[in-house]
Amino acid sequence: MFNRETWIEIAHTVTANPLRTALTGLSVGLGIFILVVMQGLGFGLQNGVEQDFGDEARNTVWVRTGRTTLPYRGRQPNRYVQMRNEDEQRITEQVVDAPAWSGRRMMWGSTVGYKNEQGNYPIVGVEPDFDELELLPLMGGRWLHADDLAKESKVCVVGENLLDELFKEADPIGAYVTLNGITFRVVGHFSKNGRWGNSMVYVPLTTMQRVFNGSDEVDQMVLSTGELDLEGSSAMVEAVDGDLRMRHSVHPDDVRAVRVRDNQEEYAMFERVFTGIRLFIWVIGGFTLLAGAIGVANIMAIVVKERTVEIGVRKALGATSGSILSLIVIEAIALTLISGALGLIAGVATLNAVAPYAEHDYFADPEVNLRVTLTALAVLVVAGAISGFVPALRAVRIRPIEALRYE
Amino acid sequence: MLALRGIEKSYPLAGGLLPVLKGIDLNIAQGEMVAIMGSSGSGKSTLLNVLGLLDGFDSGGYDLDGVDMAGLSEKQAARYRSQFLGFVFQSFNLISFKTALENVALPLFYQKVPRRERQKRAMEMLGKMGMDDRADHLPSELSGGQKQRVAIARALITSPRVILADEPTGALDSTTSSEVMEVLREVNASGITVIIVTHEADIAAQCDRTIRLHDGVIIEDGRSGEVVEPTARGARSQD
Repeated sequence: MFNRETWIEIAHTVTANPLRTALTGLSVGLGIFILVVMQGLGFGLQNGVEQDFGDEARNTVWVRTGRTTLPYRGRQPNRYVQMRNEDEQRITEQVVDAPAWSGRRMMWGSTVGYKNEQGNYPIVGVEPDFDELELLPLMGGRWLHADDLAKESKVCVVGENLLDELFKEADPIGAYVTLNGITFRVVGHFSKNGRWGNSMVYVPLTTMQRVFNGSDEVDQMVLSTGELDLEGSSAMVEAVDGDLRMRHSVHPDDVRAVRVRDNQEEYAMFERVFTGIRLFIWVIGGFTLLAGAIGVANIMAIVVKERTVEIGVRKALGATSGSILSLIVIEAIALTLISGALGLIAGVATLNAVAPYAEHDYFADPEVNLRVTLTALAVLVVAGAISGFVPALRAVRIRPIEALRYE
Repeated sequence: MLALRGIEKSYPLAGGLLPVLKGIDLNIAQGEMVAIMGSSGSGKSTLLNVLGLLDGFDSGGYDLDGVDMAGLSEKQAARYRSQFLGFVFQSFNLISFKTALENVALPLFYQKVPRRERQKRAMEMLGKMGMDDRADHLPSELSGGQKQRVAIARALITSPRVILADEPTGALDSTTSSEVMEVLREVNASGITVIIVTHEADIAAQCDRTIRLHDGVIIEDGRSGEVVEPTARGARSQD
């Protein structure tokens, strides 16, 4: 089957009409090119979103509150539900068994000053577990301690952006900064991936409550779900949600007043979305490829027609149907495979060339993995075989006598 | 060697069936050189195709080398063609992108002879045809007579028992024609049965036996030059 003769003949038919071969090959190559590039972009999108997720540990539950939208138990709507320290204490001690947690409170656009420089940055009050929950890679100094919270120390940990903008090369550790006019000491700095976060100034939650508004308010809560699976984390979400609604008299259907979001579940949802996108891309790529395969089938049909006499002569000389069939099918496979491989190479090259310029918040590292490549090649071989098979059957049906009479 | 008993064959036509062979009885012995003559539409080419297993027949019987050829599958027919028969065509039917040597070697390819062996035997066969110096030429680089020599070499390469030639000189001038006939006579002299379809009386005259077909039946069968009057009916029927 795969001997020199076969290849000589394939080489002949392929080179006999170079333009036709090139155009046919182009349709297949383009199909696989589009498939590969789109798969790459799909992966890029997924990588980008996953990187964005990298902000927060996946096994966390975020608890937020807002204004009520439904009346409940004699309470009017449009009432702000405010979580307080007691809520956090009750939830973490009695409602759920979270291995780590942190309350969170944020002051947007606070004035941060260092020597003569100043700028506006969000100040965030958190608890010691927070760096695990939001994955803050420390670049120098230390993170907030339990001791800092107990003593309500005026210490802070700053993001990378402040180093560039305020400290200008100076070592921030041990430096004193003013946060809305109050002096804090910098004990650490961090740098993280993702869009947000590098402008943040983290201070102990207790200090913030004491120094800036003297209350016991907590804006958000982050709870770790530890090793829990999706089912376990969903149960945790339900428990927290139920507790807050009961304590704050919030209607069970009020989706705005109490919002408990499970990152794990959200991530699972993204996974489903991306599976859908990948499937969609396969369908589009598949149909593009199908168009190419039809082109190949068309050309093979013409080749068979052109070579009717030759096929008849071969049969007169003792060629079996099988040898004619395999000649045409192998030719079709060779045509699709070679042009498909070129399309594949072009697609990978394009992705590699574009990748460095395509960095975006929701887009990173477009890539084509081995599995996609192998699947694409398998699809090509199958497409080639099918597109060769139908014309080949026609060639096989040629009776030598009819072929010899054919003009 | 070849025995036909009451072979009938029709071709489907728009208006119905067109009978082409209407009961052919024919015996050809090993080593004969036979010309099949007849005007266009007499069924001579169809008869050759039936003999060559290139075409089936509707009824009757055909024994080749004592084996019944009725109801042969495509694959079996291919095997018998490959083993017993060699074909020479009017339009040579050489494969255009293969050299003379590759064309001659092609039937051996279908007999799964190893490549080196194929080349060697094809070269020997071209040598016998006086064509070894043209082995690497493509058909387009050969003259008509040279092409037909290559085609005969291709027909002979598998050592067939029967050579079937369909108007082998039809596309050649008279000098080249007689050269080709000379080659075919030599082939016949080596013991191979040669059957030539022709409408040229002088070609038929160079065979041992002439069969004349008219409207799908054999009307004359005998020694060439005796039964058939070459200049009289042969010449007329061409026009």
